[in-house]
Amino acid sequence: MKYKRFELHNHTTESDASITCPQLVEYMIKDHADAFAITDHNTISGHEKIQKILRDTKAPISCIYGMEYTTYYGHLLCFNLHEYVPWENIDPGKPELLFSAVHEKGALAGIAHPFSYGAPFARGCRFEMKINDYSAVDFIEIFNNAEPLHEVNEKGLFMWESLVLKGYKIAMSSGMDLHSFTPMTDQFATFVPALDGKTAEEELEYAIRNQKTCISRGPVLKCMPDKTNGTLSFSLEETGKPGFSPRKSPSWLVSLKSEKDTTVHSLHDTVSLEQLGNPKVLIPKLYQGDTSLENLVCVGSVLENL
Amino acid sequence: MEKLLENMKTVYQAEGILQKNFVGQISYTVCLEQKYEELDIEFSYDKQRYTKEDITPELLEELRSVCREKYDLELSDEEIENLAYKIMKTEIHTLASLNDTFIGCVHRQLPVRHMHFTPQWATEGCIPQSSVEGVLKITVLVFHVLLDQTHYTLKVSVR
Repeated sequence: MKYKRFELHNHTTESDASITCPQLVEYMIKDHADAFAITDHNTISGHEKIQKILRDTKAPISCIYGMEYTTYYGHLLCFNLHEYVPWENIDPGKPELLFSAVHEKGALAGIAHPFSYGAPFARGCRFEMKINDYSAVDFIEIFNNAEPLHEVNEKGLFMWESLVLKGYKIAMSSGMDLHSFTPMTDQFATFVPALDGKTAEEELEYAIRNQKTCISRGPVLKCMPDKTNGTLSFSLEETGKPGFSPRKSPSWLVSLKSEKDTTVHSLHDTVSLEQLGNPKVLIPKLYQGDTSLENLVCVGSVLENL
Repeated sequence: MEKLLENMKTVYQAEGILQKNFVGQISYTVCLEQKYEELDIEFSYDKQRYTKEDITPELLEELRSVCREKYDLELSDEEIENLAYKIMKTEIHTLASLNDTFIGCVHRQLPVRHMHFTPQWATEGCIPQSSVEGVLKITVLVFHVLLDQTHYTLKVSVR
C-alpha cells in the first residue's frame, strides 16, 4: 500500500499568516506534498482562490478545504468543509453541538493542539471544553510542529493514546500550523493510504473514519499481522518526504502500546500476539536509537481486531 | 484605502468601551434600505498592547502565577516581561454576515481594519459580494481585553 503525504494545518493571509494563497500552493508543491489543507482561522475566503489556482495551473497537488474554528475555549480543525458553520454560540459544556453541525455539512472535525498555551496569552489556543462524548471527535492533532515537544505535543499524544486504547475510533493528525515559510524538513506530516480512483478528499475521509492515518517525519511504519500464526511483523515504507536523514547506523525500534502494557521490539522482530496478551487495540510507534520522544519518527496506524 | 472610500456613504456608526478581561460578543445589525455595489466596514480600537507604565511588579507576579499554576512553567523575569510586552495583546476579531450568510471574518489583529466588499474582490478574510442588500450583521468577537477603558469604533459605509 502506498501512502500520500497530507499537510493538514496551514494558514494564509486570509487570516493571520504571511503567506498568500498562491504562495501556499507553490510552497507545498516545492516540498512534494501530495495534498495540503487550507485551514484559516474562522474564514473560508481562501477556498475559491485556491480552487482557481489549481484549476488554472493544473498544479500536481490536491487541496483539502477546511477551516480552523478559533473559539474562546479551543480550536477545532475541520477538513472537507466547504461552507461556514457558525460557532459563535458555542457551549463549552457541550462542544459536541459544534462538531455535529460540522458533520451535518459532510465535513470532518477534530481537536487542534489540545494543550497549547491559552489565556491570558492566547485565549482559545488550549482546548478547555468538556467533551461528554468523544465519538463526536473524528481526530486529534497529536503533533503540531509549531508547538513545544514535551509541554504540548507529548500531552496531546498521551491524550489521544488513552482515548484510542479505551476504544474510541479517533484518528490522529499532525500539521505545521504554517503561518510563514517555516521549513518542513524533519517535521511530522500526516500520511494516508492512497486509494485508486479516489480524490484526496475521499482518501482523507476514509483514513480518518477508519483510523488509518499515521504521522511521520520520514518513513511510514507498516505493521503486518499474520492471523494464521498469530504474529505481527513490521516494515518501512519510504515516503520521499524531503529532509529526513536517518542516522548512519540506525537502530530502528518499534514500540507497541496496548491498554495494559508497552513493549519494545526491533524492526526485524516477529512478535507473538499471544505474548502481548492478544490486545484489542495496539498503537505502534517507530523510533530511531531509543524510545525517547525526541527520537520518535512515526506513529503508525492504529491496529485492531488482530 | 482613503481613495477606495471616497464618495462612500456612511450608513451606521457606533462606538463603545470595553473593560479589562471582557470576553464576549457585541453584535450590530444594519438593515440596508437599498441594493448597493460596495460595502465597507471599518473597525478600530486602542490600547492593543501594554505600555511601560502598565507593566507593574503586581502584573508580572500575576503572570508568573498563571504560568506556574495553569501551565506548569517557571519563567525568568526576562521571559515574563517578554510575554507581557510582545505576546499579550487585546484580541478582537470581526465577523460579518449578510442575510444570515457568512461574508467574512478578520482574524488579523489590526487595530484599524477594513472589511471591504465589491463584486470582484474583497479584503483578505472576506468574500466578494455580487450585490449588497438586506440585513447586515457585524459581530465584534472579543477574545481578550488587556486594559480598562479600551475604546472601539465601528463604521459601515456603502456605495
